[in-house]
Amino acid sequence: MSYTCGLLPVLDQHEDHHYEMSEYEGAKARWCPGCGDHSILTAVQRLLAAEQLVPEQTMMVSGIGCSSRLPHYMKTYGFHGLHGRALPVATGIKLHRPELTVFVTMGDGDCTSIGAGHWVHAMRYNVDMVAMMLDNGIYGLTKNQTSPTTPQGFKSNTQPYGSILPPLNPLEVALGITNASFVAQTAEWAPSHLYATLRAAYKHKGFSFVRILQRCPVYTPAIYQKAVQDPARIQLLVHDDGVVTPDLDKIYQSQLHHDPRDLAAARALAEQTETIKLGVFYRDPSKPRYEETRRVAPRTPAERVALLEKEFARYAV
Amino acid sequence: MPSDPRVAQALAALAQPIAEFRAAVQGALAQADAFLAAQTADAVTQAASAAKSLGVFGSHLDAAKFAAMFPSVAKADKASQAALTKAAKILRSVATQGDDMALAKVSDGRKLGATIDAALAGAGQAFGAIIITELVRGGRYKAAEHERLLDPSEFRAWNNAERRFAPPLVVEVAGADLHAGALLDFADGREKIVLVVTGDAPPAALVRCITPGTFVLQTVDGTGLDRLVGYEGPAIAAFLPEGAATFMHDPTAGKEPWQRLTVPFLPTTPFKAVGGFSAWQMEQDVKMLADLARTPFAVPAVPGAKGAPAIGAGDAVDRIASWLLGTSGIAGNG
Amino acid sequence: MSAASATAAPAPPKVLRVPEHTVEIVSDSGEGAQKCGQIFGAVSAKMGNGVWTVELIPAEIQPPPRVPEGASGNRIRLGEHAVTNWGDRTNLVIAFNEQVLLARHRVDSLADDAVILIEDKWARSEDADIVAQWDAAMKELSGKHYRIIPVAMEDQCLTIVDNPKKGKNMFALGLLARVYGRDMERIKEQIAHAFRKKSEEVYNSNVALLELGYHWAEDNIDFRVEIPTHAADKPLVVMNGNEAIGMGAIASGMELCAMYPITPATSVSHYLSEVFEKFGGIVHQAEDEIAACGVAIGASYAGKVAFTITSGPGMALKTEFLGLAVMTETPLVLVNVQRGGPSTGLPTKVEQSDMLAALYGQTGDSPHIVMAPATIEECFHIMITARRLAETFRTLVMVLTDANLATGVSPYPKPTLDEAWQAAPLDLAPVKEGQKAYAWNKDTGLSDRIIPGRPGGMFTLTGLSHDEGSKVAYSSGIHQHSSAMRSRKIAVLQSLLVPPTVYGEESGDLLVVGWGSTKGAIEEAVDRARKEGLKVSSLHLRFLSPLEPGLKDIFKKFKKVMTVEINYSDEIGDPYINEENRRRGQLSILLRNATLVDVDCWGRVPGEPLRPMSIVDAIRGRVPRGGAK
Ligand SMILES: Cc1ncc(C[n+]2csc(CCOP(=O)(O)OP(=O)(O)O)c2C)c(N)n1
Ligand SMILES: [Mg+2]
Repeated sequence: MSYTCGLLPVLDQHEDHHYEMSEYEGAKARWCPGCGDHSILTAVQRLLAAEQLVPEQTMMVSGIGCSSRLPHYMKTYGFHGLHGRALPVATGIKLHRPELTVFVTMGDGDCTSIGAGHWVHAMRYNVDMVAMMLDNGIYGLTKNQTSPTTPQGFKSNTQPYGSILPPLNPLEVALGITNASFVAQTAEWAPSHLYATLRAAYKHKGFSFVRILQRCPVYTPAIYQKAVQDPARIQLLVHDDGVVTPDLDKIYQSQLHHDPRDLAAARALAEQTETIKLGVFYRDPSKPRYEETRRVAPRTPAERVALLEKEFARYAV
Repeated sequence: MPSDPRVAQALAALAQPIAEFRAAVQGALAQADAFLAAQTADAVTQAASAAKSLGVFGSHLDAAKFAAMFPSVAKADKASQAALTKAAKILRSVATQGDDMALAKVSDGRKLGATIDAALAGAGQAFGAIIITELVRGGRYKAAEHERLLDPSEFRAWNNAERRFAPPLVVEVAGADLHAGALLDFADGREKIVLVVTGDAPPAALVRCITPGTFVLQTVDGTGLDRLVGYEGPAIAAFLPEGAATFMHDPTAGKEPWQRLTVPFLPTTPFKAVGGFSAWQMEQDVKMLADLARTPFAVPAVPGAKGAPAIGAGDAVDRIASWLLGTSGIAGNG
Repeated sequence: MSAASATAAPAPPKVLRVPEHTVEIVSDSGEGAQKCGQIFGAVSAKMGNGVWTVELIPAEIQPPPRVPEGASGNRIRLGEHAVTNWGDRTNLVIAFNEQVLLARHRVDSLADDAVILIEDKWARSEDADIVAQWDAAMKELSGKHYRIIPVAMEDQCLTIVDNPKKGKNMFALGLLARVYGRDMERIKEQIAHAFRKKSEEVYNSNVALLELGYHWAEDNIDFRVEIPTHAADKPLVVMNGNEAIGMGAIASGMELCAMYPITPATSVSHYLSEVFEKFGGIVHQAEDEIAACGVAIGASYAGKVAFTITSGPGMALKTEFLGLAVMTETPLVLVNVQRGGPSTGLPTKVEQSDMLAALYGQTGDSPHIVMAPATIEECFHIMITARRLAETFRTLVMVLTDANLATGVSPYPKPTLDEAWQAAPLDLAPVKEGQKAYAWNKDTGLSDRIIPGRPGGMFTLTGLSHDEGSKVAYSSGIHQHSSAMRSRKIAVLQSLLVPPTVYGEESGDLLVVGWGSTKGAIEEAVDRARKEGLKVSSLHLRFLSPLEPGLKDIFKKFKKVMTVEINYSDEIGDPYINEENRRRGQLSILLRNATLVDVDCWGRVPGEPLRPMSIVDAIRGRVPRGGAK
């Protein structure tokens, strides 16, 4: 069935159409001024325009949270579902319609707390999609509650004396999951890096997990402040099979050549948190993809009826 | 039924996209037929078809009321009905071809390129018929604008989307007619072509099809055919007689030609002329293949990052080792 | 009753001509009683008897030998005509040891005059404990008028095989074949089929044991049972309700079953996992029920309706997603194969306690369709209607079955397949100029669905309250209107339903109302009660949301209306219980609400299907001889 659906764009495209970036813009974004989500939205739109993705063949799936409002601001198909449950929905879409290009937007609470189980398994299924985790280290939409990635000691409405536990390191988790095929980290305040990372994620065939460090100007303005102001606190992981951003060479002088095929090195890098590392930690395009391994030949109604007759013969009295 | 077992092998390797194309054609045909039948249906017939679609348990519903609540199709004008009738005829003729739909043979006097063109034109017409079906069903058919979609259309007239969903093709061709250059015209979208070559053939003709984004395979026993369907871009393969070069050019395997190419077997001179191919031309193809596959002694450092260490010598050694393993046929393609 | 006297070699056997008979074969698990029972049931169906088979399943995978909890086997009810339920009590039992027999005795499964063929080697055991257990069991059983016939099964088997543990079930099958006059050739065919993956030798030794049992019975059993057979006028198929659901899903054209294993629903996915791919479908075993539901919704949203299958605890987990399907008007089919609850409850046992949770368990106002098949045959056919309704009404359709249907095996007429069941293709056409994501018809609430890929239709679907264009609603008026639109569809469906027909007279003293798997037992009970002169009829509902139309008019013609359900309800007369605080059967709550009729209820949660006789008792209690007050 994917085949027929894939023909859809043909209908309105007797001439090949060139999409302008503005053609991907949906409703006006209503995030707070200064929210890092704006920059992520722009990067996504830029990517779609650069890749000339057909809007009706592109899906934005999200959970619930500030970050999850992103689909409304795009002019593609969108699925703004339940808190923590974006990934199962996206998996279902891809299983029925592998020809659609799927992007998933989740918050840190969405992905690493309520949806943590789905996150682990989605990485393991390795269904081809770009999964963006917009990590502002806090529950934004519900107004300032501690999330799994909140820095220890950070005071929130639910842990007013300071966050009790050390934060969860999403990269370590992701890199520990069997069959993970793409793990990257980028930051919303480095737009060209963000763009290049999303592009690498899009180009990767498989489940591309991208943690995007994202400033919340209202609740967690300080957590990335030092890194924003002092580029020395950031180290870029560079590789021609990862992300290369020559325009950032001047700003981010600390760079490490890291081959994304090296899982052990990736894990070691993920553990080191003194500096924030941006780039592709790991990539293995050879990992099996669930929607491919589960792909079955379609059947017409007549074929199905004929086969079912045979099946009934097995149960004949 | 194909007499050459290699044809069956090639068809089997392409079974998935063939099934998908066929399902698309048959699905559209069923819709066209149902739509046309419903155009003339009275209330009683409509109730009966509603009852049918609701199944046996649907007897708990009043089928006549259901049919009135959910009229199965909108009424179409004469021109739309005529176009749909024509589309259905095209779809039916493609649907009844079965696997033959994906088969072509280069017959005497015809060129390889022209044969493929003719075969794909039928598919292009089926695309048109599917689109017409949808347009009529959606009440958007305009004769002036859309009628031409039912004409056979050659590959060069297909748009991007059509090329992406082009049906696969198995082509039987004599070695003497193996003009690989013609194949590049079809290396776009996701087109998959498998040539089954009979008789004496130039040993490495398909080397001319190699571009960074085209999957190219020469095989003598079917090895590698299973990789074709998985590749997202265009792919061309040839099933050649024993003695030909075997190689696989997999664009996903790396950035450099030598990373993408594995050459388990390279024939050696002298070559014997076949058809219009001279021995010298054949030698050129084989040399070209060897050149492309040759690993550079020194791998240049990746440009970029100040302060980053250049790729170490160890890295290059690893790559060369894996390449060597690959070419010896011991390891799978990296 | 004495264990010794029975083996006296009989003169020509006494022939018992009966319209029906129920048999049980019980053993420790792994001794093959189930295979024996299955073959016996299948052959009986082929010969033209009505058959209903139920598996007797121990709760543990490998219980220790010789304990009542380990009883495993089959119960087969045979009849001259179609058999619609498992019946009351068993007339003949073959038991491989006295402990598994005790298990059946203790749950009151055996008729007072049941004939019991039991392996008696235990009575002769060298282990004093076992002999003591045997003696104690015989003492316990002596309270009834059972006729116990000891059979030295293993000793007999030893005369032709080395290991009597294997193949004892075939000896037992031989006994049954002789007693019930079954066609030996057909039995051999079944054996050949059952052991088709084994060697010829295995087949031969099984057949030898079968014949040994047959001849032993010829020489030693002094009676035979004859149940008239009628050749079926239509081709029949035989399967359990879960297989029927799986096949129905295939026949409906659905292509994705997303699930997480849970008894008693899992076997649907076992069946589908085996065959679905060749039909172009897949079973996706998700990481949990929530994900399973999300995957099904994602797939449905993107194309053809998908379904998810589960049981009570799983349905609870899916709740939030089910609400999303309703709110976003995404078609979805959910099958709940009910088991006993609450909580983990009775995982393998039947109950009908999820009805209200299915109807009202989602948060917020969440109108959707709920249907229940009444027979194994309907398990097949309901899936086709479910998919169609989910798509045309753009909503969630729940199908409620239960463990009784799931594991019951019975023949039914082979469906006449129709390609039209798979129709309703995706609408691939471009979206009409200005078409909204929810272009609600103001009267009906119905609207056309836009699936991704359709040019010109781009919108963001959202679980937040939204307007016609799927824009998040910030005004109260929009929520009022969209709630009405989602609700209206259910009324529209009700307007299309045919009023249900009463089983029996259309008026009388008592109308029994049921739903789901109890239909066969209820109707049998009604027949019996009418024979006793009671003016009782019954009504069986397939649709619970919307309810079928015309119920109030039907109820009015009866002096009393009572539901019969396999869920808990308080009994008037129990301590503290009065009319005001009585917790009622779930269907009766629903019917009282819808009709304002004082609908009474009778419910039991015995962890087994209802027996017709207990329903007859309940009827007698509600309709005293001479008519209701
Ligand atoms: C089942 C459920 N539980 C809780 C909520 C409330 N809720 C909405 S968003 C959210 C957390 C949002 O935080 P995050 O995922 O980090 O996204 P952000 O808003 O920071 O982008 C919570 C707890 C909900 N909508 N559903
Ligand atoms: Mg957050």
